[in-house]
Amino acid sequence: MPQHCTPEDLSLAALGEPLSPDDAAHLSGCTACTAEVAGLRRSVEALAIPEFAAPGAPVAPPAHVWAAIAAATGIEAASEAPSAAPAAAPEPAAPLAEVRQLRPRRSRLLLAAAAAGVVGIGIGAAAVALGDRDDDGSTVALASAELDPLGGNDASGQAEVVERPDGSRVLRLELDADAPDEGYLEVWLIDSDVVGMVPVGVVSAGTEELVLPPDIDVGQFPIVDVSVEPLDGDPTHSGVSIARGQLA
Amino acid sequence: MTGVLDRPTAPPRPSPRTRATRVEFVANDVVPLRGATSEPDDAEVGRRFVAGDEAALALAYQRWSGQVHGMAVRAFGPGPDAEDVTQQVFLSAWTGRAGYRPEAGPLPAWLVGVCRHKIADTWAKRDRQRRLTEAAAAEAGSRPAPSARPLDTAVADRVLLLDELDRIDQPQRGIIELAFFEDLTHAQIAVRTGLPLGTVKSHIRRTLERLRSRLEVDGAAALHA
Ligand SMILES: [Zn+2]
Repeated sequence: MPQHCTPEDLSLAALGEPLSPDDAAHLSGCTACTAEVAGLRRSVEALAIPEFAAPGAPVAPPAHVWAAIAAATGIEAASEAPSAAPAAAPEPAAPLAEVRQLRPRRSRLLLAAAAAGVVGIGIGAAAVALGDRDDDGSTVALASAELDPLGGNDASGQAEVVERPDGSRVLRLELDADAPDEGYLEVWLIDSDVVGMVPVGVVSAGTEELVLPPDIDVGQFPIVDVSVEPLDGDPTHSGVSIARGQLA
Repeated sequence: MTGVLDRPTAPPRPSPRTRATRVEFVANDVVPLRGATSEPDDAEVGRRFVAGDEAALALAYQRWSGQVHGMAVRAFGPGPDAEDVTQQVFLSAWTGRAGYRPEAGPLPAWLVGVCRHKIADTWAKRDRQRRLTEAAAAEAGSRPAPSARPLDTAVADRVLLLDELDRIDQPQRGIIELAFFEDLTHAQIAVRTGLPLGTVKSHIRRTLERLRSRLEVDGAAALHA
């Protein structure tokens, strides 16, 4: 009998994440591991339900809901309440606000993202006008980022989005990082929500130029992220980021 | 073995969160500024709310009653049940405002958490009423207790587990909430939070163990309560 799955992997299985083929094969034949997953699953099944999911489309409550709240709390209902529905109205146009927040890094990252998001980084004439023309006049720097280490790594560097004379754009990267023990380094552009992400290319330490997809709006994907990717054929981000920065 | 080597070699999957799904939410600190007025920002509303400023309750209702009511309607459909939940969320948030800690997260996140409690409480109340009705019918001899159905354990579990979630500190709580309520994989959570993959995995492990113990300790007792 091969080794039992690790407790961590059994927890991921309880959450419904796929296991490696070896672990999955072991799990299907091992009563101990199966029982462990079943025990951990009970809370997943109770809580990971659509009714508890992060808020979806907002629905304005009828006016009498506020009236009842105001009456119960003794607040002056009249002047404040009617504005409730109208004031809520403009927001649904924008995507619903995310309502959870993680402490350490994310808020810092997203505050920076907010700044970039408001300013925006266009591709058109405005951006060119704002850009710094190279000394030789051939390329225009549209945005740049300092890459700071993440997750206890000491990788760092600089990234710069540059428009070339033919209108194509490249990400110029100067990366100071150790080669990973296993796998390779990949660069991503990530949106401000840190949810959508576009792989830009495989790199090694030093100076690299990666051609960006022609239509990508770097204002929408303002985070430059460098990850370690294992050679497992999985095209999605491994979750192991070593450096990150905010284009501005 | 490094965390990287531990990774399951899953077959290529479609990028789990693409732009189609990301429009569902945007971090609220990315939402552009609200005009150029002197409207208090969300954090300021949170601070005033916890300080007992009645205007902050009205502002909170203006800004977040739509989200809260949207959740209630998703659970119960439009109508009195959903409206009752929304009303209870703001009333109990207001009377329990001392329990809101701004440093633990934005006010709307807390309101959404309160809303989960109210939804779970409503289910539990309904379940209790159903059992009372059935017991009364059995007692009247009108018919045998139809299986004398036991308490719906999932209904009881939810009340218990939401309570336990409230007791968990950050970042563990945020991590498990991203897994439970936003359906993110551990790799996506690592990217989102900037925490190392191994840290995310071990937090998930410990939190699931903690929730399981809570069910083992209190779940059975609740069944006979
Ligand atoms: Zn086993």
